[in-house]
Amino acid sequence: MRKLIACLFFIGICATVKAQNIYDVGSISENLKKNAIAVIRNEELFFDFKGVGSGQETYKIAITILNKAGDDLAEMAEVYDKFIGVSNIKATLYDAVGKKIKEYKSADIKDQSLISDYSIFEDNRLKYLKFLSIAYPYTIEYSYTKDYKGILSFPSWYAIKGYNIATEKSSYTFQKNNGLKVKYLTNSALKTDSIKLGEKTQYKWSASNISGIEHEPYSIGLDNITDWVKVSPTQFEYDNTTGNFDSWKNFGAWIYKLNENSNILPVAIKTQIQTLTKGVKTDKDKVAILYNYLQQNTRYVSVQLGIGGFRPIIAEKVAQVNYGDCKALSNYMKALLNEAGIKSNLVVIGNGMPSMNPNYSSMGQANHMILAVPLDNEMTFLECTSQHHPIGFIGHDNSDRNVLMITENGGQIIRTPKYTAKDNFQNRKIKINFKDDDMAEIGIKSTYGNAQFENSMSLLLSEPLEQRKKINENNGIPGAELISFKFEQPDKTLPIMTEDITFRSNQLLTKGADKIFLTLNLVNRRENIPLKIENRKTHFSIRFSFQDDDEITYILPKGYNLEFLPKDIHISSEFGTYDAKFVVKDNVITYSRAQVMNTKSFPPEKYNEFVDFYKKIYQADKQKAILAKTP
Amino acid sequence: MKIKTLLLLIGIAISQFGAFAQKKEFKFGKIESEEFQTKAPGRDSAAAALKLFDIGNCYFEYNPATGFKYVYERHIRYKILTKAGYDLANYKIGLYKATGNSKEELFGMEAATYNLVDGKIVTSKLTKDAKFTEEYNKSYTYKKFALPNVKEGSILEFKYKIKSDFIFNLRGWKFQSDIPTLYTEYNVKIPEYFIYKTNFGGYLKVERTKREAITVSYAIGLITNATYDQYALTNVPALKDEAFITTIDDYIPSIEFELQATDFPNDIYKNLNGTWPKIIKELTEDENFGVFINKNSQAKAILPGLLKGEKDTLAITRLIFDYVKNNIKWDKERSKYASSTNPKVVFDKKTGNSADINLSLISLLKEAKINVNPLLISTRDNGIHPGYPMISKFNNVIAHVIVNNQNILLDATDIDMPLGMVSYDNLNHEGMSLDLKNGTGGWISTEPIFASEKTINYFLVLDKENKLKGNIVQYTKGYAALNLRERYRTTNNETEFLKNFKKTKTGLEISSYKISNLDDLDELLTESMQVLIEDNVEEAGNLVYFTPLLFEKTKENPFKHEERLFPVDFAYPIKENYRITVIYPADYEVEKLPIGSVYKIPNDKGTFTITFFQQENQLMVKSVIDIPKSFYSPEEYFHLKELFKAIVEKQAEQIVFKKKA
Repeated sequence: MRKLIACLFFIGICATVKAQNIYDVGSISENLKKNAIAVIRNEELFFDFKGVGSGQETYKIAITILNKAGDDLAEMAEVYDKFIGVSNIKATLYDAVGKKIKEYKSADIKDQSLISDYSIFEDNRLKYLKFLSIAYPYTIEYSYTKDYKGILSFPSWYAIKGYNIATEKSSYTFQKNNGLKVKYLTNSALKTDSIKLGEKTQYKWSASNISGIEHEPYSIGLDNITDWVKVSPTQFEYDNTTGNFDSWKNFGAWIYKLNENSNILPVAIKTQIQTLTKGVKTDKDKVAILYNYLQQNTRYVSVQLGIGGFRPIIAEKVAQVNYGDCKALSNYMKALLNEAGIKSNLVVIGNGMPSMNPNYSSMGQANHMILAVPLDNEMTFLECTSQHHPIGFIGHDNSDRNVLMITENGGQIIRTPKYTAKDNFQNRKIKINFKDDDMAEIGIKSTYGNAQFENSMSLLLSEPLEQRKKINENNGIPGAELISFKFEQPDKTLPIMTEDITFRSNQLLTKGADKIFLTLNLVNRRENIPLKIENRKTHFSIRFSFQDDDEITYILPKGYNLEFLPKDIHISSEFGTYDAKFVVKDNVITYSRAQVMNTKSFPPEKYNEFVDFYKKIYQADKQKAILAKTP
Repeated sequence: MKIKTLLLLIGIAISQFGAFAQKKEFKFGKIESEEFQTKAPGRDSAAAALKLFDIGNCYFEYNPATGFKYVYERHIRYKILTKAGYDLANYKIGLYKATGNSKEELFGMEAATYNLVDGKIVTSKLTKDAKFTEEYNKSYTYKKFALPNVKEGSILEFKYKIKSDFIFNLRGWKFQSDIPTLYTEYNVKIPEYFIYKTNFGGYLKVERTKREAITVSYAIGLITNATYDQYALTNVPALKDEAFITTIDDYIPSIEFELQATDFPNDIYKNLNGTWPKIIKELTEDENFGVFINKNSQAKAILPGLLKGEKDTLAITRLIFDYVKNNIKWDKERSKYASSTNPKVVFDKKTGNSADINLSLISLLKEAKINVNPLLISTRDNGIHPGYPMISKFNNVIAHVIVNNQNILLDATDIDMPLGMVSYDNLNHEGMSLDLKNGTGGWISTEPIFASEKTINYFLVLDKENKLKGNIVQYTKGYAALNLRERYRTTNNETEFLKNFKKTKTGLEISSYKISNLDDLDELLTESMQVLIEDNVEEAGNLVYFTPLLFEKTKENPFKHEERLFPVDFAYPIKENYRITVIYPADYEVEKLPIGSVYKIPNDKGTFTITFFQQENQLMVKSVIDIPKSFYSPEEYFHLKELFKAIVEKQAEQIVFKKKA
């Protein structure tokens, strides 16, 4: 019977599709094709908000793929779960003149589970179809209906789908019953059309004839140069819970409620905490002891099912199994602290995401949870999913952003600490001693802090065999033979790592005529310069501020004269500063280099100056000393 | 199978302690406190975890209604040494389901964590809410388990049973993994009704520690003879991946099984695929293989218009090859079986897997009276084929055409592959060519007739501002051309392509770039451009100097490691020719030109030549790297390493000019 219905269903499609050649590639204007790998010919997103917790989305899109670089866009990948069902999928392929090549059958559409790589289990699934065409250009078209039973957020809309993708026509129509409240946020330039239709109200946003935007290095994103809208319910119903998103305060109150009564600990754990903290004088020390207890006894296991994606596993359960996701472990840590008489608050945070908007409370601005502990008039933040982070260190992707702290009085937007260039340091001292046969002994001692500590952390934690492999592969020193290495974190409570590596090499000196050339900056060189961009569109910034200090002393081989030593270099700009110093005394050359960079959003017109700054650093970093054999 | 023999020759035999297997008892939940003291041996002492044991059983069960199934049991115990080993506490099992009723089922997962607390062993069992079933798709289901209370020093244990209807390939066994293993054993009991082929792989020799004739009762009152084989290894070190290999699976000691024949009482002996002729007969009669090839309606419809009376065999082959390449898009799936039963379906859909495409190609060629065979291949990531009749180890098929006693291999999955080129993934040294008409087959070499070749010519004039102006012409051939075409076509436009080209070439500005023969696969892919190069010639006092290899300098030795366990398998030979001519200002003179030299790997298995030449105010430098083989033994690794060390050193040498006073 089901088969029969499916057959009828497809006959239905054949009967209704009659549009001929509307997707002729020849009808796309030249300005849209320029720089584009694909053009969105038409996109229609319609959402009908029928009641708190119920709605229907109908979607249709047609994309012309202009060349092989656009092949990745020739696919449909729609996510669904037990609250959002996908149905009524239709998909068609057209050739360059818009002639229909193929209509896909339901058997062509793959159904598979969709689980994030950090999770062991989630309830998301995927409807997937890959469109394949041997000839270019070609056009794909697909449509579907999604039924919502439980709503936390509505679809968002972006006029531009990605880099090098132009938009011929795209629109989002949001319809709601008049009794229902929603709110929306758009970029400042986007116009909202609002129409009353009896019992219903429609909002409409649209875009047409937008050329593709090229990818620009160091970009902080397209949000301030393109049109977009986000829509959110104020009242919601989802998996047997209700709440409202009027304000962050109320949003926080909902999270607080989900966590209520989840911090009860078994007696055995309570006793253990009392024993661990007995006689410990300060709260700070207690927090350190309990955080260490958490790190030694638990591990990260993520399971996200329905409301379980928002509600933590209760502390009692975590105590039994000693694992959990960010919510479960943060909540468990909160319970441990509570037992020791220390108050703390859960914090909802967007790890690696843009800062939360203090004026627009909605789902979709966060993906993580940490814990905030007020200590000595200061907030200490604990990343509870890491078995390795020093206390209070939350990592670059959690730093310097608005986050939502959950209190008994609801949510409150606060800010996580910012790591300065000084915090994210790299301090390096290298001693190079040339023996008579040009063989150099190289000793490198480095210290890394905060964000730079984080970058090197995986190396610190890997097996020695793995460490050896990585050093061999990445040292960049010509002819290097690894002799010894040691990575250490001298104080487990500080985000500081030390590295001590010794090499031997007989390829540091390059020959040329009777001269010997020695590139003085051995390991921390800028090796390339980003290309200049005319008419850059997006703002830019480097990932994090940092300060690198390198010092290298060369004990020169016997029988050589120093013929040339570069002059000191100082470069200063609003992006940062750079200093290189070259000093010789007897047979010892001391090279020192200091670079300080500040992360900050710079306007696009500054970009070419930024490139010039990097170019000067590039030139400074390859300065060579010239030696000659004593006659 | 030369390669196969070589792999076994380099194998190191590990000493065996047969007694260990007999004495040791492997009972779930029976943990001795001394097991908590176990340390990883030798160089693995800092490993994240270790396998205390890994025991497998494989035997058969009979049900009058459903017939024979096989049962696979696994019992594994780990010791966690550091937090990096925590992932072992999440266990995942994949189960397969076919379209009919045939399936694999999991039974009785038992698992626990053991911790030593104040000298006492504390057991934490797997909880019910830590078991998950992921329905990945129609064919695969994953069962997942997360163990509680895992800490550094914990012992973890899993024991489970899978019953499977798929008796053609029994689950095999891997005797080594990326953590050290103290003891691993696989016990296989096969009733006399089934005859299996076994394939041993890997660089360590797996020992058969037992072979016994036993009796089993599969049904009441019936006694069946069976063979019990036990394979084991002790103290197996951790195995880590290396660069330039086919797949690490080729080096992991392992055993695989494929059904060869059945011999039931009251039935005749059925040879399923015990010999090549038998396998070829099966494939010939398979509707997704031989029968597919023989369907000629599509060929009959296309060929007259396509060939237009062409008589030359090679020309016909080329026309058909190009036609298939241009009309069917590969869906990136590999298979030795077509997904339909007629080439017409493939041409109508205009897409297909590798077998859809290449068997269609064969069908067309055959109809055009070209001498063509399907060539079965085990791709590089699928591992080396053992050589004896084992059909399941093949995972791909291409076409083998014989023209004037010459072998030409065709793979129509990539529009940019010229006639005779075998793609990187298929370069696994040999393939099985099947003569379906005569029911015979034979191994033929798939060693590439193309290398990866690049010739780069710079012609530049140096001015007194230390800028170099002139042109660059680059010629690419073989695999280098295939890769360049792919890069060019998957880049949005030429501007973007040039941006990428310049990214690693600091100081280079390009004008009037031209690429020719992009679509003419048999011609040299040629790029020419006008260039201005800054930032590469440096000045110090009255000296002006630069490295003449400019952007083509080999900066680092690709062979960085002190030791090498496995052969280096590049897949194809590599050739790189570089020539630069620089005209320099009249008032410069070259200070002592570097001395040219030649470096050779013994027996001409690799050469690097660099020459320096100067006349009037013109300088010429030539550098040639020639790696003529695609396969080097671990011993030869050190020759390669030395060769590249010389390349890095010589290519870094500076040309020094002195300004005349």
